[in-house]
Amino acid sequence: MSSESMSCDSQSSESVPRESAINVVNLKKSVITQEGELTILDGINLHVKPGQSVAILGPSGSGKSTLLGLLAALDTPSSGEIWLDGVALSDLNEEQKASLRKQKVSFIFQSFMLVDTLTALENVMLPAELAGVRQAREKAQQMLERVGLSHRLTHLPKQLSGGEQQRVAIARAFICEPKVLFADEPTGNLDAANGHKIADMLFALNQESDTTLVLVTHDMQLARRCQRQLLMESGHLSEPEHSNAQAPEAGSQDCSETERAGPKAVTAADDGAMPTRESGTWN
Amino acid sequence: MELSLAWRLFKRELRQGQLLLIILAITLAVLSVSGLARVSERLQLAIQGQASQFIAADRLIYSPAKLAPELLARADALGLKTVSNQQFNSMVYSGDKFQLVTVRAVQVGYPLKGQIELASGPTRALPAAGEIWFETRLGGLLGQPETLELGNSEFRLGAEIRRLPDAGFNPFASAPVILMRIEDVAKTGIIQPGSRVSYLYQFVGTEVQLKAFEQEVKPRLTTSQEWRDVQSGESPIAAAVKRAESFLLLASLLGIALACAAIGIAAQRYCQRHYDVVAMLKTFGASAKQIRRLFGMHLLMVTLAGLGLGLLGGYLLDLGITAFLPEDIAAYSPPLLRPVLLGLGTGLISAFMFSAYPLLRLLAIPPLRVLQHNLEGVNVGMWLHLLLSLLAMALLGYLYSGSLTLTLTVVASVLLLAALLSLLGFGMIRLGHSVGMKTTNPLQLALAGLRRRARQNALQLVGFSSALVLLLTILSLRQDLLDEWQKQLPANAPNYFLVNIAPDDEQPLAAFMAEKQIATTDIYPVIRGRLSRINGEDLLSREQLDAGEQGRLGIGRELNLTWREQLPPNNELLQGEFNRNAFDVSVESGVAERLGIVMGDKLTYSIDNRELVVTVSSIRNVHWETLQPNFFMIFTHEALAQFAYTSMASFRLEEAQRPVLIDLIQQFPTLSIIDVGTMVEQLRLIIAQVSLALSLVLALVVLASALVLFAQTEAGMATRQRELAVLRTFGASGWLLRSATGIEFALLGSIAGLLAVVVTEFSLYLLKTQVFELNVYPHWPWWGIAPVCGGLLVALLGVWRCRALLSLSCSELLKG
Repeated sequence: MSSESMSCDSQSSESVPRESAINVVNLKKSVITQEGELTILDGINLHVKPGQSVAILGPSGSGKSTLLGLLAALDTPSSGEIWLDGVALSDLNEEQKASLRKQKVSFIFQSFMLVDTLTALENVMLPAELAGVRQAREKAQQMLERVGLSHRLTHLPKQLSGGEQQRVAIARAFICEPKVLFADEPTGNLDAANGHKIADMLFALNQESDTTLVLVTHDMQLARRCQRQLLMESGHLSEPEHSNAQAPEAGSQDCSETERAGPKAVTAADDGAMPTRESGTWN
Repeated sequence: MELSLAWRLFKRELRQGQLLLIILAITLAVLSVSGLARVSERLQLAIQGQASQFIAADRLIYSPAKLAPELLARADALGLKTVSNQQFNSMVYSGDKFQLVTVRAVQVGYPLKGQIELASGPTRALPAAGEIWFETRLGGLLGQPETLELGNSEFRLGAEIRRLPDAGFNPFASAPVILMRIEDVAKTGIIQPGSRVSYLYQFVGTEVQLKAFEQEVKPRLTTSQEWRDVQSGESPIAAAVKRAESFLLLASLLGIALACAAIGIAAQRYCQRHYDVVAMLKTFGASAKQIRRLFGMHLLMVTLAGLGLGLLGGYLLDLGITAFLPEDIAAYSPPLLRPVLLGLGTGLISAFMFSAYPLLRLLAIPPLRVLQHNLEGVNVGMWLHLLLSLLAMALLGYLYSGSLTLTLTVVASVLLLAALLSLLGFGMIRLGHSVGMKTTNPLQLALAGLRRRARQNALQLVGFSSALVLLLTILSLRQDLLDEWQKQLPANAPNYFLVNIAPDDEQPLAAFMAEKQIATTDIYPVIRGRLSRINGEDLLSREQLDAGEQGRLGIGRELNLTWREQLPPNNELLQGEFNRNAFDVSVESGVAERLGIVMGDKLTYSIDNRELVVTVSSIRNVHWETLQPNFFMIFTHEALAQFAYTSMASFRLEEAQRPVLIDLIQQFPTLSIIDVGTMVEQLRLIIAQVSLALSLVLALVVLASALVLFAQTEAGMATRQRELAVLRTFGASGWLLRSATGIEFALLGSIAGLLAVVVTEFSLYLLKTQVFELNVYPHWPWWGIAPVCGGLLVALLGVWRCRALLSLSCSELLKG
């Protein structure tokens, strides 16, 4: 199983990594509530290499989604720095962040977030149109074929099953060939069988397009299909050593895509070490 | 890109019915404005066309002296058609008989509007030179001569006049009228310096020409010269026309306000529905500019759809109504431009002003909402929304009505409603603290819901109560106006007046009428007298005031005085008691106000060179529009018994009974008979037209109110969905949820009903006192009916909408 060959790169590297898809240094996020200041994220450091897949696990309220929002340039940290594909987010205003997302980032959500008045095809076209891609329609059509929905092009989201809706979302996520894909509980709203299918599709496309994947989930099985598993607990991020070692079989036999993609992931994971300057937070 | 995306969103959302409400709301606003504007312009043209016949022109200048030639030259230069008239009293002689007559000397071209009615039928001709036309009874009075002398000249007697178009309605004009050419006046030698002559100048032209002339000339008139138009209060229908116009304006104004409310609510829903879309687009990297353009264009498409449908609807509305109108009204065809522009303006202004705030909030939605679904971004102050809405409404109102009073009245009512609502909202929020969710019985659940959702509910109340306020206001005003008109013109309204009834003729006349089975009104004695002093202070004429003398302005002409035991019909006592003592007098409220007369004042009259002092013991309101004998001053018999008098009465004659008139004239040759039948018929026609318009407007307002109620319930449902889902998940029965929702909506509806009554009474007070001059009275039944009906209506709507939600499964609800 591919999980055996995955390893975590918990060792440090240079401080301004050019070779990283995501680099986070001493990230803090706190909010002001009626009871006073509440720290959600406290001193997060993270280094993700291009093409790597990373799962962030953790209980509800531990700060997973907040971290995802910060990494994806949707939110602003209280302190610390994030580099996304070599660009320091703190240097960007909202417009520039939007532009960065348009060029480099994509998303998959638990609740699919499809525009319920647009057809499957039109939903997939959206990011391409925003980015000014010519022939968005043809590309969207190809993407939907790849996720096996060529017969559902003109269906509205409410005419599709949950699994189909998420496949539309996956097609949408990959249409612009993002550098980094953020997935927030992508199988959270699906039953086990559909969840597996979606996960297979997600990892397959991820490997094919060499996209960096950051996946937030509760689901251990899903997390184990990533090259790295990070644990978020009360605002602190940790990466258990050899986090994939005790991973059981990754569930279903539909994993062939993932297995095939495995070796590529290994090379990606092996050739670098993570920053450990602040290794204290990594436990 | 944005255009194609906006178009795609628009197409899809349209097909799925999501844009229905907002498009309908805009359509309604445009439809009611453009349609009603054209209908009411058509009616106004028709009414004015008919009414202008009463002054035989579009405008009139009345002057005690000749008008400066340069003023008439201006009228000429502006392209107005002008006719000069002179009017004076003089004696005519025929053999040994003589009679005081009112001479009307006219220029060729008279009458500019309407026709002279002769005994032989209507004519467009005028008396020839050396000829006079005369009122039938003059022949009787002078013994049917062939010629008569007026001043130094002799005139042939020509046609018999039944009515001059601008004779006005003055049953007191005791002298018969003769009509002659103005060129013939000089040779009579009657007009000398100092003679009492009235000069009348009549004008016709287009609205633009008239307006220009009015602006130029009116400020240059002296206080003794008068500018009159159709609505100057000279014709008996002027008041009716004025009110009807105001009503149409107001109704359309309220229609606009309602449609605006609907647009506001629909726009809010529209934006809320797009919150997630915006968050998603931003997440995928859409720039602020892209989103602004996308939704700007999307909203523009929505607005254009509404505008198109609205204009089409307005056109059809006008077409439909015109089909029902009598031909001579339908023939008036006002230009399309103004209604279309008004409709377009209304649609654009209301759509953008009312969507501005929701749109601002929509654009401010942070992308992070894709992860945290409750995020709504910066909260731009609600006051901005209120301010924009109020501004839009006031602007539209003023644009449409051109009347500051009407606009301010509507704005004041809106402000009162807002104040009451915020008070109530605040109260509910205070109460709402520490209220949890009780699920034991539907009432408790409803109460808890009501308090918990205080803020949304306050918003919902805006929609519910404004719909009800407007509905009630229009209902009440329409009824009052119709009642008022009905009162003026009962089916058996008199169409003839008898004046100059000599005391000796009273009995024979009564016998004659009884024999012919004609019912007459009460006989009113008439004595002419002049009010000379108030509390011993001499009253001055206008000329004296113009000459710089200090003092109180008097009436400047003789008044017709009468006596009576009881208050006449169509009179209302405003102050005091009607003529309890011998030397009491009852004064009409308008003249009392003009002369500054109050209760207890001592009034001195000079009658037949004798003085009579009486005390004001009551003040009456008189409905002048009623074609009945009406009097400024009513005395007791004791006070006036010493003076000579003649009497007057009125009666109704059906067309078939007309030959009776000939008998009447032959038997009582000195009687004056005044035919007001034509006037009554015209008045009736106008009222019928206006009533139709009023019903139509009412229907539109009901439609608009329904739309607002529906939109508001729709909006309310969205906030309830999650809570219903939770309750359902925890096993609450459908019955419990339906009842709780029903009760909650019913309570909201009742509160809205109560608020609506308060605001309606207030706005009706303003409208009736400031605009319509109608009696103000409280509508007690409403205080019960409005809350009950409001509750019932809103509850039904709520439960009906809720039904759809309750039929969804829990998971669907929770997902939603």
